[in-house]
Amino acid sequence: MKYICPVCGYVYDEAVQGAKWSELPADWECPVCGAPKSVFVPEPEEQAKNDSVPMPEQTEEAAKAAEYAVDMPLSVGELAAVCANLARGCEKMYMGEECELFLQLSRHYLSLVPPAQGDVAALSKAVASAAQKQFALSKATAENAGDRGAQRAIVWGERVNFVLRSLIEKYEAEGYAALTADRIWVCSVCGFIYIGEVPPAVCPVCKVPSFKFEKGDAAK
Amino acid sequence: MKEFAVRNLRLCTKDCLCLYVCPTGASDTENSVIDTDKCIGCGACARACPSGAISLVPVRMPPQQRKSPEVIAAMNALAAQKEACRALAATLANGARGGERAFFGAVARSCSLTTEDIYREAGYMLPQSGNVHKLLLSIAAGKDEKAAALADRLLALLPVNDR
Ligand code: SF4
Ligand code: SF4
Ligand SMILES: [Fe+2]
Repeated sequence: MKYICPVCGYVYDEAVQGAKWSELPADWECPVCGAPKSVFVPEPEEQAKNDSVPMPEQTEEAAKAAEYAVDMPLSVGELAAVCANLARGCEKMYMGEECELFLQLSRHYLSLVPPAQGDVAALSKAVASAAQKQFALSKATAENAGDRGAQRAIVWGERVNFVLRSLIEKYEAEGYAALTADRIWVCSVCGFIYIGEVPPAVCPVCKVPSFKFEKGDAAK
Repeated sequence: MKEFAVRNLRLCTKDCLCLYVCPTGASDTENSVIDTDKCIGCGACARACPSGAISLVPVRMPPQQRKSPEVIAAMNALAAQKEACRALAATLANGARGGERAFFGAVARSCSLTTEDIYREAGYMLPQSGNVHKLLLSIAAGKDEKAAALADRLLALLPVNDR
């Protein structure tokens, strides 16, 4: 029997490793990315996979209309994220002035976000159920549309969300008295969080080298 | 397609072949940033560099990938969920100290990075796209004066590449 890490894809193969999965201690962690034992999933025996919902055919007009019709009203928090993403795009294309302006817009919108209501339990619930459920739904849509880019973003986001879930659950169970900003690392590309003295050589989710990791105290 | 050269300083090993082959002197600058005003995009430097440190970027980007309405809706719904998580984590970070503050701050940062990535795949990849242009127009026409002023400047700087 094999068990797969949903974060980095590490495979625990009972036949290779010798020890049975059930014999591993409860605090056993993924040797590659540190994900807890509880989030590992057994490898599906027979791919019972084709349960994705068929999507209605998309008309040419609908596609055309949608191109410029992202008319969903965005909240200030959402606008901040859109602008931060566009700043990054400008930076990649060496458009310094545009990058700076999008960053200013993003910071401006961020300053307008009202404080959220809720405690750690609410955050835990939002990450573990609401976000996780939406990842599954969006993934089915992106797969049906054959949109590789969207699928890529969803896979990274879903894996990182798993990490958040396990870290928050751990925090709820044990607290993090010994936690210091020096030991928290965030991958600046995909958002993977790593707790330890030095960041991993390669991000287990998006595979960038360790210099792309930010120290926790830089977090906004 | 008109292009210009850029140098990745992390890869540059100062072998300087790019200086010898450049017909305009654009690659020879004291701060190692290739002078885009001088560069004619001939690509000689990129071909000569032994470290693969120079790449050519098109002046005018091709139109961004088209997204289906279903994918746009799905990505927006996902971004909204992650943004809600970010806002909550940021509020918890503000009310905490020391390691806890760093922890929730990192969670907020992580959520934000995921949300940004999701929007990139929801029709906001290229700043020069018609979709972003439309967003900037609506911000420029809005009541928020500070945002409108920034959007105006961006509209003046960014050409629309897919309309
Ligand atoms: S040839 Fe390449 S390595 Fe040498 S200075 Fe130019 S960019 Fe740097
Ligand atoms: S592309 Fe041509 S002009 Fe531009 S820096 Fe390289 S060699 Fe010089
Ligand atoms: Fe990463």
